[in-house]
Parts: sequence; structure tokens; C-alpha cells
Amino acid sequence: MNVKKILKVAGAACLALVVTTIPLLSAGCAGEPSNGDKVKVGFSICYTGVAAEKGRPMGDGILDCMKYVNEELNGVDGHQIEIIWRDNQYDAAKAGTIISELMNKGCLFFTTNSSKMMGASMEIANRAEFAGFSVFSAPALTHPPQHIYGQMPDYGDDWAAFARYYLDNIWQGTGKPKMALHLLNNPTGYGARDAARALADDMGIDIVATEEHTATTISEIESLTRIRTLNPDILYISSTPQPTSIIIKNAVELDMYPGITIACGHAGLTSVLTDLAGANSEGVYGVFPTANWGDDVPAMAKMTEYCQNYHPDDYGNMDYITTWAEGLIVAEILRLSIENVGIDNLTPQAVEEYGFKKLDNFDVGGLHGAVSYSPGDNRLSKSVRVFQVQNGEIVPISGWVEALLIKYEDFEWFGK
Amino acid sequence: MNVDLPAGTRNYTYAQDMAIFRTRTHWGLFLGLLAAMITMPLYLGNYWLSVANLIGITIIAATGLNILTGYCGQLSIGHAGFIAVGAYTSAILTNRFELPFVLGLICAGLVAGLIGIIFGIPSMRVKGFYLAISTIAAQFIIIWVINHWNSMTGGFIGIRVPPASIGGIGFVSQTSQFYLIIAITAMSVFFARNLARTRSGRAFIAIRDNDLAAEVMGINLFRYKLTAFFIGCFLAGIAGSLLAHRIGYINAENFTLMDSILYIAMIIIGGAGTTIGPIFGVIFIQMLQQGVTLISPTLESAFALPAGFTAGIGPMVLGLIIVLFLILEPRGLAHRWMLFKTSYRLWPFSY
Amino acid sequence: MAELLQFVITGVTVGMVYSLIALGFVLIWKSSGVANLALGQLVLISSWFTYGVLVQVGLPLWLGFPAVILFALALGWIIEKLALRPLIAQPILSLITVTLGIAFFIEGAVSFIWPKSVAALPRFFPQATVHIGTAVVSQEYLWAAAISFILFVLLSLYFKYHRMGIVMRATADDQLAVQACGIPVTKIFSMAWMLACTLAAIGGILMSSIGGITFGLTETGLKAFSVVILGGLDSFLGAIVAGPIIGLAESLGGGYLTPLTWPGVREIIPFVTIIIVMFLKPYGLFGEARIERI
Repeated sequence: MNVKKILKVAGAACLALVVTTIPLLSAGCAGEPSNGDKVKVGFSICYTGVAAEKGRPMGDGILDCMKYVNEELNGVDGHQIEIIWRDNQYDAAKAGTIISELMNKGCLFFTTNSSKMMGASMEIANRAEFAGFSVFSAPALTHPPQHIYGQMPDYGDDWAAFARYYLDNIWQGTGKPKMALHLLNNPTGYGARDAARALADDMGIDIVATEEHTATTISEIESLTRIRTLNPDILYISSTPQPTSIIIKNAVELDMYPGITIACGHAGLTSVLTDLAGANSEGVYGVFPTANWGDDVPAMAKMTEYCQNYHPDDYGNMDYITTWAEGLIVAEILRLSIENVGIDNLTPQAVEEYGFKKLDNFDVGGLHGAVSYSPGDNRLSKSVRVFQVQNGEIVPISGWVEALLIKYEDFEWFGK
Repeated sequence: MNVDLPAGTRNYTYAQDMAIFRTRTHWGLFLGLLAAMITMPLYLGNYWLSVANLIGITIIAATGLNILTGYCGQLSIGHAGFIAVGAYTSAILTNRFELPFVLGLICAGLVAGLIGIIFGIPSMRVKGFYLAISTIAAQFIIIWVINHWNSMTGGFIGIRVPPASIGGIGFVSQTSQFYLIIAITAMSVFFARNLARTRSGRAFIAIRDNDLAAEVMGINLFRYKLTAFFIGCFLAGIAGSLLAHRIGYINAENFTLMDSILYIAMIIIGGAGTTIGPIFGVIFIQMLQQGVTLISPTLESAFALPAGFTAGIGPMVLGLIIVLFLILEPRGLAHRWMLFKTSYRLWPFSY
Repeated sequence: MAELLQFVITGVTVGMVYSLIALGFVLIWKSSGVANLALGQLVLISSWFTYGVLVQVGLPLWLGFPAVILFALALGWIIEKLALRPLIAQPILSLITVTLGIAFFIEGAVSFIWPKSVAALPRFFPQATVHIGTAVVSQEYLWAAAISFILFVLLSLYFKYHRMGIVMRATADDQLAVQACGIPVTKIFSMAWMLACTLAAIGGILMSSIGGITFGLTETGLKAFSVVILGGLDSFLGAIVAGPIIGLAESLGGGYLTPLTWPGVREIIPFVTIIIVMFLKPYGLFGEARIERI
């Protein structure tokens, strides 16, 4: 028992020692404010997890672009950008802890590449007045406008822009065209519905039917049968490629298409759609907010070079373009901030005031619509291009069409 | 022989016999733990505090599930749905109706408990797998209602939640939230620990072990099963409310079937049917997930991994751990901990 | 009224596909009393393996299909031996949770080996649509329904007349008696799992040829649960009958209720059905009711 008593006392002493020295040892764990030459930015990327198929090329894009800025352009005004990125695994709880870590480590602002992840991080950032933007946006992020911005137009903007294009260029009848909406059962789909609710009457479009489908549907014949009886002129599908291809196939089977116009939002208009739907998708319209690979725009050459060198599997993937553009915007925000307040006065608030809010017609190398900030509108880029599937290829048929700002917060049905 | 207490400790009164902290060492360690927890914000940075907050909230929910599944044997794979009910109730009350946070918290628990009772009614007629399926159905129905009840819940857009505040003091920083969450977690664990020793707790365990025999002995199955559902879902509702105020913006996508399954995994790995089991399980799984998050960037830059590696390795490892734990240590980490404590007390004797 | 015919036909054919997956579940339950919550994931991995064999490796159909069947048999054998054999006498919570663990593992393995999240299989069935009255239905669904039905007939005959089938039913009834007859019970479990995985593989091939391979196959697994609950956990006839019923309920309910209530009512119908069945007739239409009297 003697040994046991000695052990007990020794154990207690060790424990006491550990408990008293933890504060000293862990002093390093506490946050350090940003200082020195390095400029820090935080990225919350869905590198793994269920969204990895989009998250990975997006992560590759932003990291390659940052590499390009740091190595070839010698950073921003000569200052290297220090990148802190974390993999949020498309999990909301993780996104919450990652944003705390990024704030802790002294980042000046942050970005995420998914609207769901931004949703999980945004209030924590808003309360701390820590600015950030999300590549894929959603109305809830930017309305009412606080410290969170959206890089690209959201799904509601897609609808608004296409509706405008349709009324101006395709609609040839008199009176109001009748539109049926087929929505995915998540914010991607319902973004279009909310925009339609807000704008359709003013624009002069009659929404005759709103149908919902799941991402895993294998047949939409019954919902299309209902839609068919109402004789719409246009069917707008706001969804991902897989269900969109099912709906188009069913519409062809029911002899609805070719006949009515079918259009889809930017989540659905990718090469996956033409693969899955095949010849059925001929003539389908869609919108997309960025340029396409191979377009003749200033940033295409460098982006293609880095993509082929470092991540050749991602060539042809539109998500890589969106995050290369994200990287260019990050560099521009930092450049504006340094220009306006100087390298020594950089704080998150200063970066928002003099970086984000001073963005004015930045062309993002032509990769997407020009990026500007106007008060009350937290969308950075506001325009999309209209495309059409011709001969199995997705071909642009218009220039940059701007989407109007929809003040969702004025509607009482909007969860404020 | 009773190996719960060191040799030579005798119980002369009923109070001593029933005490949770019996010896001075017990009390010393407990007070040390309390001191360490209360002073945690001093030496943990913001990031680790937010992780600790998340762990605290998950412990509350897991304790609820433990009471329902571990003590009472009613398998429930729909826990995330009940957490969602609590979160949305609290969000709606504080955002749309502008009621104080404390009211929102309590109502969140009550509403979640009531919904739990409603979906627990099938437990009167079926058990085992059938009940599991009906709780999965409950999860889907709850999420569907949340998504489509636009006027109240904001539908697919989601709803903002103002920060928690009691009497004008807002809990915005991680430190203040930490104290709030730790207080409520400590109360829940204390409640669960004592529940096991009361009449209701013993009734739950009897129902789990053999419900026919329990009914024969005079335990009203109806009442006790529904009570278990109420308590389990009440705690889930409280956890949901704290979660909502912590994140600040909730959306039904935060509460998926995978989260429900994760909760089951947490209590299985920790040890179902014990108080400390959920705590172990939650800490184990959360630390695992945080570890994966922290390692990914370095792994990515160090090795050129095949494309699917990081996407697939997380669920694979988790699934493997669940299966291995069930095969090798079905009573979970709590059992291992008990064996460790016992061997410490009995050392150097091997019995 | 023209829509009614369309709804009915769509509902019945889609429901038959659900039945096929439900058959696999009923098989395992009937033989070993284990609830297999990893159904959807088994369908998923078999579909991806088919994709791998037919598209990535490029084997012809007559070689590819047997390869997939062999894979399914091997998968069932491995799962039973490694994960379920050690847990034979454990309480049901452990068994269900271990199938959940297997489900996670398989999902991770699928992401690991085939990083793409969607893929298209070559079409096995002719694409032309068939017109029945004013309704149209794609031939693929008819083929899928027909194959489900044939499998159901085969399975029922197997369980009724073939020696192994009878042994499986006996094992479900009373393991001890079967052991007393000198039949190794573990071998029965293996066979049951292998058969169930094969059924899942066939179901997966049919469904993915119609709609492509996505993670949605796991959700169809969940819908198969509603079929199983409605039909009765241990009845093949129940699975075949309940499948079209659920399909019809979805189709008609969605068809007529949607304009009145909210869009999206259709998805919730299987789950509401589960709850209603639980309240009214918990053991399903054809299931064997366990009567516990005190």
C-alpha cells in the first residue's frame, strides 16, 4: 500500500503541475492579431465531404490563383498574401468553428465557396463585424445587407435575368407569357421562386404552376402531366443537372418539348446535363454567370496554364473558373485596401470599408460580369450570360445581362 | 465485492451509500475539474472555445438520446429532427415574436418534448426496428414541415436568430456563450445522473431489459415510455435552441439524417446507458472530426492523393469505428473507463 | 380523367421498382431477423461497380453482368462474415447500428473509389415510349416492373419448395431447432445475405439505367422501408403488393393534393404512410403479427 500511496501523491502532484502550467503553455493558443508585412486571408472550402465534387475544383482554383498572385505578381503591392484555409467538409457545425478560428488567427476577411457554409458562418461573422464573401450566393446571405457579400448572382438573379431576356428576345405572343416553375427542394430551387414572387407581376409574367422535386427523383411524369394541362409557354427548372435531365426527358416523352421553352438556372447548366440528357436537351436555354473555357478573355491564358500544370483533371470544370475569379477579386480587395489605408492600418473593418466598398467596375479578367459595390446591394457581380444547348454544346447567345436588385427584405414572407 | 469504492470505505448511512462523490479524492477531483472548466476561457483561444461550445451543446443532445435509447431502450434515429424543432421554436419566438431568450429556451424544450411524445406514441404498439423506422419517418416529416411552412419558418431560405441574451446582457462572444452552455450542460448531466437513481429511471431500465416483465411488475409502460420520449426530446430541444443562438442563422439543411445517425454512433461509442458515456462519445467523435479538418490542408499539400481520397476517407473511418466498437467493445468507452478505474483500485491484485 | 390513367400507370411502375429493393430487405429479415439499414448503400455500390465494369473497364454486357452478380455475392458474404457473425446474439440496437456503420463505410468507399458523384450507365432497354390509352410510359419502367415481378415469383417458389428456402424459413422461426437438425445456421445467414445483395444489385442496375447513378439511390432505399412496413416485414407478397400501393399513393396523392396544398407533398407521402401504418396496423398488411399476451 505504500507504493500505492506514493503513486497517488505523485499523480496528484503531476495533475496540479499540469493544471497550473496549462495557462502558460497554452498562451500560444490564444489569438494573435495580424501584424507585420503579411496580409492574411481565410478560406473555408468544402474540399471533402458530400460536396467534394464541386468543392475540390473550387479549392484548387482559389489556391492556384493565390499561388499565381504571390509568385508571379509578387503579391499585392509587393506584399505576399498569407493564406489560411480549412476544409469544412460541407458540415454546418464545422463551418461555425472554422470561422472562429479564422477570426482568431487574424485574417482580414474570409470567403466560402458554398451558400450553405456561408449561412452557417455568417452570423458569427456579422456579430464580430468580420467581412466575407461567398462564391455561390443566396438571398438570405445578402439581404438585409450586412457584412456578407455574394460574389456571383444567386439563383433568384438567374431567374430575373432570364425572364428579362425571354421577354425581350424570345416571347412573341401578346399579353403575359405563362411560366411554370419546377424547383429543387432546397435553396437552389426556391431562390428562383422567391425572385418570381417578388418580380413576376411587375415584369408581366404569369406564374401558373410551381412544382417541386427532389434531387433523387427518377420520374417527374406526374408533375409534368399537371403542368401540361395548364399550357404554359415556358418551363423554368431551377435545379442540379441530374433532376433537370430527368425532367427534360419526361417532357420529351409527354410531347411537351420541343414546343414550350425550357430554361434552367446556372446550377443545372453544365456539361453533365448534356451528357445525361443527350439529344433531349437540344435547344434548352440556361444562364451562367461566368465565361466558358476557351473564351477570349484576358485572364483565360494564365488560368489555363496554371490549371494544366497543377490540376489537369480540373480542366473544363466551370467551378475552377468561378474560384479563379474569386482569387482575382480577393487580390483586388486587398490592393484597394492597401492603397487607401496603407499596409500598417489594415484591420477587418478597414478592409471592408476601403476594400469591399470601394470595388468599382473591376473586370475580373473578363471571367465574369464586372464587380462593383453599390450601397444597399451586397452582390459583387450582378450579371449573367444566356446560353443555349446547340448540337450538344453549350453556346452563349447573349452578352452580360444584368439582374435587378430585389429587395427581399421588404417582403414580409422573407425570413429576416 | 464492490469495486466502486477504495478498500476500507464503509457506508454507515443511506446517504453515504447513495452518494455520487463518496470519498475525499472524488470530491477533490471533481472540484479540480470544475475549476479547470471555469477557467478554460483564460487559456483557450477563440477557436478552441467555439469547439468546446459545440461539444457542450452536443453533450446535451446526446444525454437526451441516451436517456431515451440507452436507459429506456426506445431506439430513436430521428434525434436531429427534434433538435431542429427546438432550434426553430427558439428562433421563431425570439425573431418573429420578439420574446426573451429564456422563454424561447424553455419553450423550445417543451415543444420538442411534445413533438417527441406525438412521435413516440407508436412505441406503444411496436418496438425495436419498427420504432426505429417510425423515428426516421418522424425526422423526415419534421424537416419537410420546416421547409414548407414558409410564413413561420422562412421555408428553404432559413431564419436568422438574434444572439442569446438574459436581462439585457447579450451572449455574443465565445466566452460568454461558453459559460451559458457549460452551465446548462452541467445541469443536464446532473439531471441525467440522478434520473437513473430515481423511480422513473429504474422503470426505464426495467422497460429496456424486459418490458413484459416490467408490465407484470406494475410499471405503466404507456406513461413511462412517453415520459422517456418527453425527457429525451426536451433535452434535444434545449440543445437545439442553444445551437440556433450560437450559429445565428438556421436552415433545415443543418439537421440531416446523417446527424441523427451520428448521435446514435456517439452514444454507442461512448457507452449507452451510462451517464458518462455520451460525454466520452461526443468528445471522441468531435475531436476526430476537428482533427480531420485540421490535417486536411497539410495532407493535401504534402501528398498528391487520389481525387476521392479525402472525400471518402471520413465516412469510411467513421463507419469502420462504429462497426469495430460494436464488435469489440459493445459497451463503449464508458465500460473501458470503468475497467481502468477498477484495475487502478485493485492493483496489484488481478481480480 | 386522362391524367388519372397516367398517374396510375406511373405510380404502379415506379412502385414495382421500390418492391424490388424491398424484397432484399424482407429476405434478410425473414432468414436472420436482422434489419438491414444499409440497403440503399448496397444498391449504390452495386450500381457503381456495374459502372466500373461496363464503362471504365469496358467489358461487354454478357461478361459484365455475371461479374456484378459475383461481386454482389462476395460483398454479401464478406459483410455477413466480418460484421454480423460476431454479433449474432446481441440486442437489436447493436445489430441495427452495425448496419448503419456498414452503410457509412460503403458510402465512404464509394466516394473513395469513384469520386464522381453522378454517372450514366449505358441504356439496357429500348428508349421508345409506349402509349397506353392517353398515357405514356417509358419502356424502361415496364421492363423493370416485369423483372421485379419475375424475381418475386422466383423467390416465392424458392422459399416454398426448394430445400434451402425451407431451411431459411425454419431458421427465421427457431434457430435452435434448425441446429438440432444438424444444419449449420451460420451458413444460412451467409446465403441469405448473398442473395439479398444480389437482389440489391439487380435493383440498382435497373434503377441506374433509368435515372443514372447518384447518391439518391440511398434515399430510394429509405422509400423501400415504407414499402416494407406497409407490406409486412416478413412477407414477399407484402413487398410486391405494397410497392405499387406506395407508388400509387405518391403519384395520386402528389397529383391531386399538390395544387391544393403545397408543392412537394409527394415526397412526404411514404413517410406519413409509415406513421399511419404504425398507428393502425403496425405489422403491415401481410406481416405476421407478434401477439404478446401477458
